[in-house]
Amino acid sequence: MWVSVLRSIPVLLGVLVVFAVQVGGNLPGVGGSGLSRLLPVGAGLLLVGLVLSALGSYLSWSRREYWFDESGDLRVDSGVLTRQQRRLALSRLQSVDVHQPLLARIVGMAEVRVEVAGAGDSRVVLQYLTETEARALRAEVLARAAGLRPDAGTAPEQVLVTVPTRDLVVSLLLSSTTLVGALATAAIVTAAVMSEGAVGLLGLLLTGGLPLLAAFNQFVRFFGFTLAESPDGLRLRSGLTSTRTQTVPPGRVHAIEVTEPVLWRRLGWVRVQLTLAGSPGSSDQDENATSGVLLPVAPVAVARAVVDRVLPGVGSREFAWESAPARARQRAPIQWRELGVAVNPDVVATRRGRLVRRLAVVPHARTQSVHLTQGPWERLLGLASLRVDTAPGPVSVVGLRLDARAARRAVDEAATQARRARAASGPQRWMSPTSQVDALPQEPPTG
Amino acid sequence: MNEMDDVFAPATQQWVPVSAKLALARRLVLLVVLLPLAVVGVVVALVAGVPGWVPAAVAVVALGVGVWLWWLIGRRVRSYGYSERADDLLVTSGILFRRLVVVPYGRMQLVDVVAGPIDRALGITTVQLHTAAATTDAAIPGLPPDEAAALRDRLAAVGEQRSAGL
Repeated sequence: MWVSVLRSIPVLLGVLVVFAVQVGGNLPGVGGSGLSRLLPVGAGLLLVGLVLSALGSYLSWSRREYWFDESGDLRVDSGVLTRQQRRLALSRLQSVDVHQPLLARIVGMAEVRVEVAGAGDSRVVLQYLTETEARALRAEVLARAAGLRPDAGTAPEQVLVTVPTRDLVVSLLLSSTTLVGALATAAIVTAAVMSEGAVGLLGLLLTGGLPLLAAFNQFVRFFGFTLAESPDGLRLRSGLTSTRTQTVPPGRVHAIEVTEPVLWRRLGWVRVQLTLAGSPGSSDQDENATSGVLLPVAPVAVARAVVDRVLPGVGSREFAWESAPARARQRAPIQWRELGVAVNPDVVATRRGRLVRRLAVVPHARTQSVHLTQGPWERLLGLASLRVDTAPGPVSVVGLRLDARAARRAVDEAATQARRARAASGPQRWMSPTSQVDALPQEPPTG
Repeated sequence: MNEMDDVFAPATQQWVPVSAKLALARRLVLLVVLLPLAVVGVVVALVAGVPGWVPAAVAVVALGVGVWLWWLIGRRVRSYGYSERADDLLVTSGILFRRLVVVPYGRMQLVDVVAGPIDRALGITTVQLHTAAATTDAAIPGLPPDEAAALRDRLAAVGEQRSAGL
């Protein structure tokens, strides 16, 4: 059984062609002698290019099939010249995104990204689906991954947080890049006024333009950010021109980081980022991919509540910090007061950073390995640093310049707790009874 | 310094050291790199017609660096060690920058056994562990092939037993 989506592509194709014909038809009327003869040629080339790319999209779409096989995994066959058959083990599902670029949104279409755990390219992107199909596919993927019946439908959701536009704008203007840009701009203007030469003002394009562009980019991306909770997991929705809805099933969060830039401190705001076991690096290269941002900006209390939902008992509890000793000042003169590590029965937490305070948390069940390191200068001072390795992502869990013995104790404790947590780790299909899970190859009975 | 040493000691047992042939392998590489450099340095100095003490100084410095690195390689190789515990593998290395890695068996995704041409000629291999984290840096160089293969098989077996989902 594979789903046919034949109806949707001609719509997109039609819109493109009509748009191109209009552009082509209007341009010759612009006037001017040499230019008016060139313009139709350019418009014609544009039209040909558009038609060709639409044809290419159409071909790749028509040669794509997707279905669920008998073991409940998602299968995707695609490719025009080179055929690719891909099977996604839904027991390893990390996230499902419904993404609507601006043009697709206008014509009522969407793409679905299904990401499973794995190194490298471990996801499929299904483009040119209608909105209804996209939602149905997402619901079915989540239902099957949860171990429910495929036609269970979309789970109800409850909105946890919405980020007000005003807060978003203020937070972006107060970000350190904008601040550095503003300072540099002020410096250039001052220099230009003092020396009465205007050449330096060209630098304004760089110092003023780039940070503004970056801030605007973030604004477009996180506009209307909504975080909701459903039995399927967390739903993250945002976007001004193109919208993106990400669903993260329960227990997929590998690490969380709460960052507090110095300029946000007076407002009591933080940003929350998370690491999923998706394709490493994909978030940086692909601006439409999931960014690893759980909350672009929120008051501390709200962030704590959200962290509590994601990692129960972490946001509200105070950690028993093992702080860096005073002699760490000689190794880390600026941030030594902020450094520390805490190992409690659920998580390892580390904190660091003076200008941007970072609190990173990894659940024991997600720890991959633990490093203890000591450089010569640290050795002289009796210090050591530790790092908890997690799946690749924006969060790094490092405890720097701690007392050497305390660091070793923390490493041993983290390793012991991680072993206990692995033995007791939850089911991969989060809605199914545990007995069924034991039969799955990914989760053999642990002793 | 003894006090600091036990910070990096395994909790219960001794470190299993790696083969001394690793030092030989690394010293060979050192010679291959350093000798041509020293020769070129001396020849250039001679051809350029600088005073006679310059090539001599270059040679002495090269020799000094060579001897120091030679000695350092020996210490570095002796600093390598691993220890198989009930649930995880410990790997340590380094003198100036010391390192201790704890890799749980249940987290190992794959185990590589690698040997370059010099390593093969001398009969040593490197066992490299990989987890889902790209930052896990747990390589044990300088193991005799038999020991490496046995270790790999033990790790694979125990890893399968204890494997946990991501």
